[in-house]
Amino acid sequence: MNLSELVSAAYYRLERRRALLFLAVIALLGSGLFGFRHLHLQENIAAMLPDGGEVAESFRLLRQAPFARKVLISLEGDQGRNADDLIRAADALKTRLDPALFPVFVGGSDSGPGPKLLPYLVTALPSLVTEKDLNALKERLDGAGVKKTLDESYRQLLGPEGIALKGIIRGDPLGLHRIALQKLRFLNLVPGARFNHGHLISPDGRSLLIAAETPVPITDSAGGERLLAAFDQARQGLPAGIRATLVSGHRYTVANAAAIRGDLWLILGCSSVGLALLFVLFLRSWRAVFVFLAPVSVVFVAAVAVGAVYGEVSAVTIGFGAVLLGIAVDFGLHVYFALRNGGGDAGLIVGEVSRPVVFGALTTVGAFAVLLCSQLPGQRQLAVFSIVGISLALLLALLVLPHLLRVGQGNNRARSLKKSSGMRLLVVVLWLAVVGLGGWQARRVTVNGDLGAMGLIPAELAADESRLRQTWGEVRGRAMIWSLGNAPEQALAVAGQGFERLGAEREPAGIVSLAPLLPALSRQEENRRRWAGFWSGADGARILADLDKEAAALGFAPAAFAPFRDTLSREAPAVTPDTLREAGLGAAVDALLTPLEDGRVGALTLIPETPEWLTAADRALAKIPRARLVAQGRFRAAMGRAIQHDFFRFLAGAGGFVVLLVALLFRHPGKVLAALVPVATGLLVMLGIMGYFGMALNLFNIIAAILVIGLGVDYGIFMVCRQSEGLNRATERAVLVSGLTTLAGFGALVLARHPALHSIGLTVLLGIGAAIPTALWVIPAFYGEQRR
Amino acid sequence: MKSLLLALTLPMLLPIMAPAATPTALDEVLSGLEKLAAEVETLASDFRQEKYLAVFRDMLPGEGRFYYRRPDRMRWELTQPIATGFVLAGDRGRRWKDKEDKSEAFEIGREPVMKIVAEQLLAWTRADFPRLRSQYEISLVKASPAELRLVPKKGMGDGFLDYLLIFFAPSGRHVRQVEVHEQGGDYTRITFFHTRINEALSDHLF
Repeated sequence: MNLSELVSAAYYRLERRRALLFLAVIALLGSGLFGFRHLHLQENIAAMLPDGGEVAESFRLLRQAPFARKVLISLEGDQGRNADDLIRAADALKTRLDPALFPVFVGGSDSGPGPKLLPYLVTALPSLVTEKDLNALKERLDGAGVKKTLDESYRQLLGPEGIALKGIIRGDPLGLHRIALQKLRFLNLVPGARFNHGHLISPDGRSLLIAAETPVPITDSAGGERLLAAFDQARQGLPAGIRATLVSGHRYTVANAAAIRGDLWLILGCSSVGLALLFVLFLRSWRAVFVFLAPVSVVFVAAVAVGAVYGEVSAVTIGFGAVLLGIAVDFGLHVYFALRNGGGDAGLIVGEVSRPVVFGALTTVGAFAVLLCSQLPGQRQLAVFSIVGISLALLLALLVLPHLLRVGQGNNRARSLKKSSGMRLLVVVLWLAVVGLGGWQARRVTVNGDLGAMGLIPAELAADESRLRQTWGEVRGRAMIWSLGNAPEQALAVAGQGFERLGAEREPAGIVSLAPLLPALSRQEENRRRWAGFWSGADGARILADLDKEAAALGFAPAAFAPFRDTLSREAPAVTPDTLREAGLGAAVDALLTPLEDGRVGALTLIPETPEWLTAADRALAKIPRARLVAQGRFRAAMGRAIQHDFFRFLAGAGGFVVLLVALLFRHPGKVLAALVPVATGLLVMLGIMGYFGMALNLFNIIAAILVIGLGVDYGIFMVCRQSEGLNRATERAVLVSGLTTLAGFGALVLARHPALHSIGLTVLLGIGAAIPTALWVIPAFYGEQRR
Repeated sequence: MKSLLLALTLPMLLPIMAPAATPTALDEVLSGLEKLAAEVETLASDFRQEKYLAVFRDMLPGEGRFYYRRPDRMRWELTQPIATGFVLAGDRGRRWKDKEDKSEAFEIGREPVMKIVAEQLLAWTRADFPRLRSQYEISLVKASPAELRLVPKKGMGDGFLDYLLIFFAPSGRHVRQVEVHEQGGDYTRITFFHTRINEALSDHLF
């Protein structure tokens, strides 16, 4: 029994049990709806990123960047406003911000380097001073150096500032604290900025930066809207001449959600009008509604299937997949037109049309099945969703739909495709020209792996980001070196190693790192031994003798520097994250030493993201296995490579599977090639036009391209069946209406403002838009007279 | 040593020796000083400085000059025993050692110690008592010529300041002497003399 006979037999068997059939379908769809209500939806972009390998780890580490998940508020003052005005405005703004949405401010009157810091650092200096530091100290404190330093202390004591500095001078007459200050410079997360009453002030004194933590996840659009509204309300109270700008991931989420909402109305409106037109022009029967209901009804069952396989389901997968299942309407349309065309018994007609329909469905399933090999969990979920959804829609189209439709009178014959040989030649020449042009321009297509490029970036937000960069530098865009360990001590040891090697490669002034101020405990122990050895050795003894001599000459009392002598004889304390926090460096410590999502601890080093620094970092970190260099530019490039690699792999996989199925169906090279003409044309035209206009391929184009493959080959199968095997069940009309419904549903996405939706729409519009006329005109042109 | 002892103890005894001033009397004196200071556009004065610090074997004498021009220009320079000084203009300044033409620029916001110094000097010169009262407990030692004793409130002076004594000139238009007493007994006395009010001051000074 072949496939047609099998489907016919099933029709006759079910014809006698229609009530039971409908009940079973309702039960299946109902249980799908019930299961869907208990699904756990994952509402973030993680599903669209590789879940293994270097790219995935890079993304996780990028998200842990100090400012990546914080809300940044920049206050700017007009001419005539100074830092004190900004500080007052910032403090007032903070009190007006809703504490439920802005519970914690990083930086503020109680943070930043406080008065305890310098004395602490002087005390802890023996634990921090490296051999290089001691060599520099020895050089600076030669005979003249000691006199110069002490002269400076004398001058300060005479001035009004002497009162405040006296204690420091007594404990550190040789200015050793300068070594600590040099190390402190490496903690400045915002280059050039300074702390003023705990606030970060820009180098020109005209801007102030507030970093706030919020419980609102960056992907939460509703929460983001509340957050932005609260900020807008709070900034209304700012004094004249001071403006506040908020920059965070929430603004992107809110802008994108608003754009998608706006797009949906436009797209749904256009799609509805398009589908209504198609209905009026081609279908004109209320029973045709069942054709459209089939794909809609399987969405929940398909989602439950994804949940059963993967446990967690990406909301993006469900949303995109639900739209994708719209293509399953094609199977029902072919059954609908075949039955309406009449010319026989319903079971016979359904049996006849089942062969191309099943193979069409199988090619689409096969095309999506290649996504099972994707590195992106979202694409794998999409594969399961599509396979289950399309298979169910196919079963509904062949086994259930015929029982809901009526057989036509048999006089609704399709138009003959007879054409003159001249016309056929013209069609083939035109097609060759289009394919040639498409192939030529397709080489210019590039791949864009930037996740940001797939989202909408409003001009106002881009301008705010740009102003933030101009004022504060690349606070959100520096390359990161993560030193990883199972405990802070291990991470700090790796960071120290990396810092030393990187410092040997390039002038370390551009580095932000905890390593100089918080070496590993073992390294601190080594530093203390070296320090003690220095002061008890010849160099130390010479410096101390010079100090006594110069102090006496300037009139200092013999016990003037007793606190300094005491410090030298005491065991210095170890520096730990907690002691640095107590000294007022909590914000920097927490930003640069952080527990990671996977349970490890990461010590963060920031460097400028320039080719020179990245090359130097590559060299420095080459033999440090626990250090990872993560740069946004490199991440984008890696994503780009992954997308490009996936694109060609999927294209080859889907293409290979489709060719195999088509070969299995037709078992004739000519027919196989003819069936593949629409899909090949669709892809070449799509890539050619994108290449010509300089458009780059992204993640969404790839999925849409697979859709073009799945659908394009269906049109080819139907038309080859019609032309070569005399199967004329209103095939042309079914192909045309299928294609037009796809264009109405997907092609309308080209009107979207949102880049991701626009990308899908464009790909489908170009690919399917080329595949339909190719199927309808080029295949018949190859076959010549219709063989009935 | 006798003078040192006297200098140390006198300011402490003054409040006891002086008739108890009521808050009203203090308010009246401060209000009067504020009014007089409001008429001061420029101020130029020489000063003598005596530093009694334990880190030095002997008292450290010094001499210098002080200039002020409303609203925020100030120059403080020591001419003896070494030449050093600074000029403030708003939240920026420059300072020098030995020779003024080799001065270096600085921002007050970046130097916490200089910020405190600048705020204090300006507050005294302008007689900005609302600000000073937020930082110090002020008591009246003598109404005329006015003498004030200021004890820093908690958090002010970062623990090194004990109290201040301020002696105004009989005219009430400027400070005649300041004594800054530190915890631990060190203190500094600055006496202003040859004080000129509202004289034209050259821009070069600032």
